[in-house]
Amino acid sequence: MISKEQVLRKIESLPTLPTAVAQLSKLIADPSASARDFEAVIKPDPSLTANLLRLANSAYFGLRREVTSVRQAITLLGNKRVFEIAASAAFSRVIPSHIPGYRIESSQFWLHSIAVAVLAERLAVELHIKAPGLLFTAGLLHDLGKLAIGQFLEDEQSELLSKLSAEEMSFSEAEKEMLGTDHSEVGEEIAKQWDLPDSVIWTARWHHNPETMKNVDNALVDLVHLADCMAHMFGYGADVGELARAVDPRVASRLGFNVHSIEAVGSDTEEQIREMGEMFK
Amino acid sequence: MQMAPEMMAKGKAETLITVDIADMKISNDIGSTLVTYALGSCIAVILYDPVQRCGGMIHYMLPLSNKSPEKAANNPAMFADTGIPKLFEKMYELGCRKENIIVKVAGGGQLYDDKGTFNIGKRNYTVMRKMFWKNNIIVSAEDVGGAKSRTAKLRIADGRVTIKVKGVEEVL
Repeated sequence: MISKEQVLRKIESLPTLPTAVAQLSKLIADPSASARDFEAVIKPDPSLTANLLRLANSAYFGLRREVTSVRQAITLLGNKRVFEIAASAAFSRVIPSHIPGYRIESSQFWLHSIAVAVLAERLAVELHIKAPGLLFTAGLLHDLGKLAIGQFLEDEQSELLSKLSAEEMSFSEAEKEMLGTDHSEVGEEIAKQWDLPDSVIWTARWHHNPETMKNVDNALVDLVHLADCMAHMFGYGADVGELARAVDPRVASRLGFNVHSIEAVGSDTEEQIREMGEMFK
Repeated sequence: MQMAPEMMAKGKAETLITVDIADMKISNDIGSTLVTYALGSCIAVILYDPVQRCGGMIHYMLPLSNKSPEKAANNPAMFADTGIPKLFEKMYELGCRKENIIVKVAGGGQLYDDKGTFNIGKRNYTVMRKMFWKNNIIVSAEDVGGAKSRTAKLRIADGRVTIKVKGVEEVL
């Protein structure tokens, strides 16, 4: 059996997010930070800037005209939104072309990530929940633990598949049985090491177990939990874990959704998810 | 009666035509195969006319378009009630006849704990069944429900449909 320590050591060998994202995370927590501070961090990274502008110009962010500079993006979208887009653009660059264990390609992993980000935000609107801070980023990065854990699961693939098909075991439970940890715990560690904001750390940690979370923003984790279930249900980014999951009944009662709200969110977001999903293939 | 598809394709590699989420495709190119991935609660309705050697596939997301008429006008393939009739129409346009069309269905899965609030797979299935019943359409084979994500393929050369779940592919 693989030890939890082995899995955690793997984190160190992952490609890291560009340092700009950690710097931006500090700025986003600093009320005195100005638009100019944000610009100064992003602008020196041309690849980050290019990807940020591509994403910012997608229909989802609702700009009426094309933005061609970081400054314009900040002026029109604000610091918080630009941080969220920058983190997404940076994340798209560190996804390996294939994530073993989960049997998922980078394009599908990206599609799933963007779907959860979009669905979580749209759910907040549909369910009249005040969008918690950095919901988009928290949704987008919720599965970052999978980047480190995949290789170990690959070695145990047949056992994993038999657990998933024979017993009604959730994917996280199967990970835990085989590795002593799961992608939520590993994701929390990565988010901490990458100096990401608390909302990302919490969501990475609790999105499969919102009932056990403590001292965190319930709404944030609840929305990502539900959005994650929806994304898998609609088939945005199939990995081997697929439908082996459940909506937590406490989340369901806290959020108070029904089948019609789920369907409305599903139909409203399909085009936007598709557009951004195809962006970083 | 039917030649082996390998012979018909004459060594040419088969063309894979992907049907996305909320999408439909038809083909009468005997070297092609229609494929759709990651059918969760969504449903694929798969049509094949062996006389015309023509097939069609829709991967719809949701049962009813009444709450989103604009979306449905824009993309009828998103909903069962607008997409399925459209798929039949497209088949007829290529000379297919209703009495020759073989209908197969896959998808409509659900998460583990479904108690109804989240059961879009079942709603997708029920609405489809009602439409087929009203229109005298018989489903010849189906693989639906359960906590399964499916990949469905239709080979145009001979109408063979396969469903893949967790790496295991079977003929439907």
